[in-house]
Amino acid sequence: MTAPPLAADPVLAAFAAAVGVDGPVAVEGNRTRWATGGALAAGTRLVQAPTGIVHHQAEEMIVCVRAGTPMAELAAALRDRGQRCALADLGGTVGGAIAVGENHLLVLGCGTVRSSVLEVRYVSAEGRLIRGGGPTVKNVTGFDLPRLLVGSLGTLGLIAEVILRTNPLPATSVWAMAADADPFAVRDALLRPAAVLWDGDTTWVNVEGHAPDVRAQLAGLRALGSFTEVAGPPALPTHRWSLAPADLRQLDSTEMGAFVASVGVGMVFAERPQPPRTLSPAVAALSARVKANFDPTGRLNPGRAPGAR
Amino acid sequence: MKLRRHSGRAHDGGPDAALVADLQAAIGRDRVRNDSAERALLSRDASVFDDGVAGPICFPGSTAHVQAVVRIAVRHGRAVVPRGAGTGLAGGAIPLGAPVVVSLTRMNRILEIDHDARVVWVEPGVVNLDLTKHLQPLGFHFAPDPSSQQVCTLGGNLANNSGGPHCLAYGITNTHIIAAEVVLPDGEVAMLGGLDAEPLGYDLRGAFVGGEGTLGIATRIAARITPTAPAVRTLLMSFADVRDAANTVSAVIAAGIVPAAMEVMDQRITRAVEHYVHAGYPTDAAAVLLAEVDGLHDGVDIDAQAIAAIGREQGATEVRLARDDNERMLLWKGRKTAFGAIAQIAPDYYLHDTVVPRAKLAEVLAQTYDIAERHGVIVMNVFHAGDGNLHPLLIFDAREPGVLERVHAAGAEIVKASLAAGGVLSGEHGIGVEKQAYMTLLFTDDDLDHQNRLRKSFDPDCRANPGKVLPSGHSCADIQLLTAVPQGMWV
Amino acid sequence: MDLGIDADELNTCVQCGLCLSACPTFRVTGDETRSPRGRIALMRHVQLRDAPLTPEIVQSFETCVQCRGCEPACPSGVQYGRLIEQTRTTLARTHRSTPRWLRLAYIPLARPRLLRAGSVAIAVAQRLHLVPTRLGLSVRIPLRQQPIPASGSDVYLFTGCVMDAWQRDVHLATQRVIEAAGFGVTPTLAQAPCCGALHAHAGLTDHTRRMAHKMMAALRPDMPILVDSAGCAAAMKDYGHLLGTPEAGAFSARVFDVQQWLAQHIDRFPKVAPLDLRVAVLDPCHLRHVQKVHLDTRVVLRPFVRELVELDDDGLCCGAGGAYSALEPALAGQIRARKVGSIDRARPDVVASANPGCSMHLGAAGVPTLHPMQLIAQALPGRRPLD
Repeated sequence: MTAPPLAADPVLAAFAAAVGVDGPVAVEGNRTRWATGGALAAGTRLVQAPTGIVHHQAEEMIVCVRAGTPMAELAAALRDRGQRCALADLGGTVGGAIAVGENHLLVLGCGTVRSSVLEVRYVSAEGRLIRGGGPTVKNVTGFDLPRLLVGSLGTLGLIAEVILRTNPLPATSVWAMAADADPFAVRDALLRPAAVLWDGDTTWVNVEGHAPDVRAQLAGLRALGSFTEVAGPPALPTHRWSLAPADLRQLDSTEMGAFVASVGVGMVFAERPQPPRTLSPAVAALSARVKANFDPTGRLNPGRAPGAR
Repeated sequence: MKLRRHSGRAHDGGPDAALVADLQAAIGRDRVRNDSAERALLSRDASVFDDGVAGPICFPGSTAHVQAVVRIAVRHGRAVVPRGAGTGLAGGAIPLGAPVVVSLTRMNRILEIDHDARVVWVEPGVVNLDLTKHLQPLGFHFAPDPSSQQVCTLGGNLANNSGGPHCLAYGITNTHIIAAEVVLPDGEVAMLGGLDAEPLGYDLRGAFVGGEGTLGIATRIAARITPTAPAVRTLLMSFADVRDAANTVSAVIAAGIVPAAMEVMDQRITRAVEHYVHAGYPTDAAAVLLAEVDGLHDGVDIDAQAIAAIGREQGATEVRLARDDNERMLLWKGRKTAFGAIAQIAPDYYLHDTVVPRAKLAEVLAQTYDIAERHGVIVMNVFHAGDGNLHPLLIFDAREPGVLERVHAAGAEIVKASLAAGGVLSGEHGIGVEKQAYMTLLFTDDDLDHQNRLRKSFDPDCRANPGKVLPSGHSCADIQLLTAVPQGMWV
Repeated sequence: MDLGIDADELNTCVQCGLCLSACPTFRVTGDETRSPRGRIALMRHVQLRDAPLTPEIVQSFETCVQCRGCEPACPSGVQYGRLIEQTRTTLARTHRSTPRWLRLAYIPLARPRLLRAGSVAIAVAQRLHLVPTRLGLSVRIPLRQQPIPASGSDVYLFTGCVMDAWQRDVHLATQRVIEAAGFGVTPTLAQAPCCGALHAHAGLTDHTRRMAHKMMAALRPDMPILVDSAGCAAAMKDYGHLLGTPEAGAFSARVFDVQQWLAQHIDRFPKVAPLDLRVAVLDPCHLRHVQKVHLDTRVVLRPFVRELVELDDDGLCCGAGGAYSALEPALAGQIRARKVGSIDRARPDVVASANPGCSMHLGAAGVPTLHPMQLIAQALPGRRPLD
């Protein structure tokens, strides 16, 4: 009574065949984050992941989508049925967004990429189709392969298809801005802001929920600054800095240039890139064992490693 | 007047004397127990499995202690099994092959709160509800709230990726663990994850959570703290048919409402619970649905009214709103003590915790009643309906000859029915020793091989909680560690 | 070995572990052998699986405070108190526990003159600084006892053994409060010298039965018996079960915790200015978990003090446990430290405890603890200063 093998799906089987069993290989999406994690080794064969939304079950709050699907297509399909997911539409593909693992600007509202991937179907270094996780939000059946794949830059397996958790779109979503507010106080004053952004002077806040609650929260904010509603967030500088939320209290704009910081999250968008971060020796050794176990010959995305610059 | 009695020191010697001596030298005499009483008790948890055999038991007080214990165990060729409160239902803490048992109950300090990150650092032995009580005056709580939250520990929650009624809206434990300092099975200490927005490298933290103690031992945990919503509405709806309750749950989600929790209890369990807590549960209804929404004042009223309307459409015979916190707490107490209340009816119970798509809840529930009837056992259903997480309780008296076989056969059929409906094996209890054999129903050999690769990355020699999660034949070579049971033990 | 426990009773526990955090000894040790679940499992091992009764197992049973805090935490309704009492009885009967010196120490309890003589000896020793502090004797035992004359025959006030010898001032306060509600009081004194609670605790239930018979024979069958010691009232309310006779059942039904009784007559008190005190209510286990009348203490106390505050530990035991604090001083001290932490967080001026053992145990840690009756007596008109 085993679930039908993934290979029974001709689309997935074709993708596995394209990946093959030997030689360096990588998946090419829209190349929006092509340089992340290091330059792909020369001579790496490029393959394309399958595309299309397999099914969207709004009442189950899940969507099954193939990795090559453009994020814009997924976002639009979800929106049509009053839902959204944790992946940001940054012009790339679903598989790319998961392989890179960057969170949405509204991460406080729509959750992290890491916790939104419920099931992952990928092609292993040996060219086999592997399934990890399951189609339900609650699931502790075995080890958590989806978490390991998110943000792994295709170095452990090449994602073919995923099941993502979706969420209802909030009834109301409003951006407001004030030049005279303490962003940390703003964040503490709101129950569940979707985002609190700060560029050193101005604070932007996104409040979502039922309209009366949103209105009440905005009214409350006026005690903390002269907030006015605006159309959306500010333009974000290019480089992502990943900091601890407490670090935002002493940001150094001489080092990072102009910035927009996400308060309570620790993400900072800055003019200049973040200096290289390093793994502790124990974590580096553990990561190396993970890589060696999943890709013993090093054929998946050679040259790339999550965290490398 | 001399009131001192004989000293209460545990006597040593007996099995494992050399190992015990090393452990005592490393972490102190009073932190190591090796008497037969202690070994017998720590060979079990809250599951039905009684074939565990514990080796020496250590009560470390620090990461350094845990590291020392793990290294000594490695040197003596023994496995290590971590243990929290021992409330697991899948046998995850059952020691197999007389390993060194690491009881983390004495590492129970709440260390510090980082308000900017909304994170609290705790030791693994901190009790879930103690943490929430500690956070309450500050306006926060720890969101995962398993039914055993009054006793279960954060370390146990992490190891099992525990759920609870409120993870429908707030997410499971994995969402709430930001970082963990862990002692790996070779004794190395590593900090997995971090407080920064997007920690570098593979999500080893995410992989570690839910590892059931097979990937190492967490000794310091950064847990997300969640602001407590100012407004809560708890609805109690009665139904003449358990299927109406299940359909209500589906309809609520389909309407775009994600309540903080939705729980269903059938009539048998409701009666047992009501007898214990006297919360005012209707004992004549075929099923009751407990739905809770939290948030801000206007929104919770809007959602509560919408849920009530859906319930009535689906045939609710009564819709009641908890009047105050007191009534709300009582209703929840009833729900959370449901398993224990079973003992009023029969001394033993066995349950699975499969998850099925919400739309299939009514269908699978009906099957559980049929299956139980065919096998001549009683089933009671109490479950996290919002998540589709079933808890069909098969209740019995183990002293009745042949009953265990019937219970296991019924359990297996329920699992198969759930998987056939597109579900998964376990929503929150874990695999432990209980569901290993079922893993092949859900995963192919290739899938299990990759899960084993994850495990082997953390524990190449299979020293951490061997014999768990993966079915034998799919796990790394942990068999030899399971054979050496010391002589002279009564268990 | 047969512990004499009913097999069905022993099988009620499903090992869920929900009792663990309600157990004071598990809380401070994190050790299953110090938990109700563990102790029940060991009872099963010994009785059903014939495991040898090792010193560790005996110690597991002996370290139980018998607070019965696990009973309300148990969703299966396991009557743990009965299990441990039966176990301790069997151990004492077979001389596996409760050594001879301890049995001797309990003899004076039922013999008022002997007890009085011993108490005077301790009082003298106290004044000569000869009593080791680890015994936790926080009360200064009086050299001379104040008289406690009867004032009528509406109710009995059970005066008991050690409490009367060491803390007669509490009885005097209780009597004043009962009188203020308009009832005439007869102190039981030598008619009923001891309830046998400490004996039952130590497994010497035969002694307790004898004392129960003696008391039932001595007291008039038509008067309510009020008790200002939670431990004593709990024991006397259990005579019905202990003796298993209708007479004993009827007797037990006449026993009331004094707060429980007064809560029914709260409107009979004169209206007085409340004491300017923030009072934390410490629930004695035998009031909260056994008699389950701890809420009455709040009803009775509320009109007489400025502010009542609750502790945040869900009624976890303080570690006094009758003679427990003397028999297991290390554990009792750790348990008390937890309680003191909880009291510190509540920031009271004074702690109110309706059990003399708890008051003494906390007093030894420097926590100002008074009986609720002492506080009320203080608030009543014509009060005497607290000593």
